[in-house]
This record gives sequence, C-alpha cells and structure tokens, in this order.
Amino acid sequence: MDHYDLAVIGAGQGGLPAAHLAARLGAKVALIEMQQVGGT
Amino acid sequence: MHLVRHHAYEFGVRGVDPNALSFDLTTAIARKDKIVGGIISGIHSGLKKNSGITFLTGRAEFTSPVDIRLDGQAITADKSILAVGATPTVPTIPGLDEAGFITNNEALKLGALPASMIIIGGGYIGIEFAQMYARFGTGVTLLGRAPRLMPKEEPELSGQLEEILQSEGIKVHTSTEVIRAGRDDTSRYVISRNGEVEQRMNAEIILLATGRTARVDGLGLEQAGVDLNGAFLKTDDQLNTTAPNIWSLGDANGGQMFTHRATYDGPIAALNAVKSLGRAVDYRVVPRAIFTEPALASVGLTEEEARQAGHAVKVGSYSFAHSGRGKALGQNEGLVKLVVDGDSREILGGHILGPHADMLIHEVVIAMQGRSTIETLAKAIHIHPTLNEIVKSAAKAVQ
Repeated sequence: MDHYDLAVIGAGQGGLPAAHLAARLGAKVALIEMQQVGGT
Repeated sequence: MHLVRHHAYEFGVRGVDPNALSFDLTTAIARKDKIVGGIISGIHSGLKKNSGITFLTGRAEFTSPVDIRLDGQAITADKSILAVGATPTVPTIPGLDEAGFITNNEALKLGALPASMIIIGGGYIGIEFAQMYARFGTGVTLLGRAPRLMPKEEPELSGQLEEILQSEGIKVHTSTEVIRAGRDDTSRYVISRNGEVEQRMNAEIILLATGRTARVDGLGLEQAGVDLNGAFLKTDDQLNTTAPNIWSLGDANGGQMFTHRATYDGPIAALNAVKSLGRAVDYRVVPRAIFTEPALASVGLTEEEARQAGHAVKVGSYSFAHSGRGKALGQNEGLVKLVVDGDSREILGGHILGPHADMLIHEVVIAMQGRSTIETLAKAIHIHPTLNEIVKSAAKAVQ
C-alpha cells in the first residue's frame, strides 16, 4: 500500500497551491481529484 | 454583442444592423472550453514537473483518519487536506425533480440558447447568469427570496444594479418563494408566492442558484472523524477539522465561497499540516465581486454593518456619472461608496458599482490591508483620466 505524508483531496484552486507548497516543504504528497483539475 | 448592438452607432461605427445580429451559444461555449482547456493543461504540466506530488484520479473515501480508499486502490496518509469544494444546494420544492432543472454546472454547457429561463436565487450566481443569458437573447425571470437582490450588499448599489437588470428586460421578483414546480406539454413551470399572491410562470429551462453545500458525499467523514457544521465542514481558525490530522479549506468550509479565498487558504493549510505552524486565517479583508456589467464589487463592512458594530461611521460616495473616462467608455452608471470609522479614520469598507468595479476595488483592498486612513486614499495622486479617480473622489467626500 502506498504511503504519503499528506493527501490533498481536490485539485481545485485551493488544493493545488496547498499541494505545491506541501511538496516544496518536503512532504510526499498525493493529490487526488475525481473530476477535473482547476475546480469549478 | 450587447456593446455592439447598443453603442456601435454612437461610437461612429457604421454598417452594423442591430436587428441582423445574432448570437451562437455553441461557438461561445467552444471558445470558453478552449480557454479552460489551456488552463487545465498548464496545471497538469505544473504537476508533472513537481516530483513531490503524485497525482491520483478517483473518488476518495476515508476508511479511517489515515486510510483512504480510491476507486479500488488504497493509500495511507499521515495527514490530509480536504479541498473538496461545494456543490449546488437543491432545495425541497415539490415537483422540482419531475420538472427537471439545471445548475450553474450545466448552465455553461447548454447545446442551444433557450428561449426562456427561470432562475431561482437572487445571489451572485443567479444574477450573473440572469444578465448573461438575457444579453444572449433569452427571456429571463429572476426569483429571489429576500426583499432585494444581493441582500448582504450595500442597498444603494444593489438597488441600482437591480434597476439596471430590469432595464435590460430581466423580470425580477423579490420576496418571492417558489412553492411548486412542474412540467406540462410545452414547457416547465414554477408556482411562486409573494405574500398571499401566487403566480404561475413558464419557461424552457429552470436554473437553480439557491446556495451551495460542501461536496462531502461518499467522502467517509464519519470514519475520518471529521464533523460538519450545518452544510459545511467544521474547522477552527487554523483550518483544522475535528480530526487532529485533517485540515480543510475553501468553499467546503462555507463563509465567503470564492476562488480567491480558497487560494488564500491553500498555503495556510499546507504550512499547518506539514510544518505544524499553527497559522490562523485572517478574513478581515476578503473582496467579492459580481461579474455583471456594470460589476458590483465590495470589501469589508457596509454602512449598516459598521454602525451595528458600534463605529462612529462616516461615509463618502461619488458617482461614475462625473467620470470623464466613464463617459468616453459609454459606461457611467454606478457609484463608489466608502465606509470609514470617524474616530480612527480607518477604512472599514468599500463598495463599487460601475465599470471594472472588480478591478477598482483593489485600491480599497490594499488600503484596508494596511489599515490606511481614508486620507491616504484621498491624498494619493491618481492618473487622469482613469476610472480610479472616482475612488479618490469618494475618499475626498468622506467628512
């Protein structure tokens, strides 16, 4: 089973900057999106 | 098309027959899709370049605070950030399901321009779609429950926008509740009630714009230990949910549901989740805009809110009718209204109805962020001739 430091659920305009910054801070990040990136 | 139809002749453009103009919704939607597609592909290439992020597609469901099931596969994560957004709220109106309706999601994907549309909801989304479709050529009826459209906005401005919408042919009904909906052979209908008066209205399309709810269906909140507060996720001022290892941001938390608020939340959630920095969000200065024409944009408190908060309020306002630039653009409807604490002279709120209000409001945003006094705005030299001069004039009008 894959293990991550942080899961970000939703790749909209809030999830994306959260995931990018978390990765920059050194976290191993899973970004999960069920529809389309960028949000509605 | 609105501009061409109504102003081409005035601007000296000849050869345009306003009656010969037509609008192709399919082309407009294809253009929008192309723009959005470009943005999405940019996002994907940014993600590919970031080796610290693994992008996974699927519907996530928590089975414990650290276990997430994802369409067949399972992952574990020490911490999580929920950035799940919100989805349109569907109110319980008898007959609505049978009648059939669309929300803002479908309203940007219609295959053909409807002849008529009833929009339920007098907030941001309802108003923006009302003007957009009315200008495309659809006969629009806009129903709002509150006594006026945009009940939380400065009444002078929202009242003026309501008049503008009506002057463009939109039928606006306020203090109106929809009590039933249905479908007959030729169209959909709603039965609305205003006081004791009931009215039946018919339209090809019913568009629902009655608020939003956190998108948490199937997310497994209970297994994650994340509580709701009404329709939204319960968080503290550090965006931490009721589960100590899970944070939440943006629309899913309710409050001011704007993209720019979610974008502001994102890094704060990341810092708190990854570095345990305990950063608190500060929503003192969150601007908002309704993208109509003219646009309505605001930040901070209305005059009434400032009075209720106990401030000795001073206000200043100035009309775009005095703006040379506005006249040159053929857009001089609206006004700027500034709300100030009379003792400290600090700016408490700014409200703009007018051309490019969504951009002009940032003068007030920056001033409020720095806790500037109104004199800073009033004394700052503004370029002539610009629309921004009206913001300065409103500042000078504060006593």
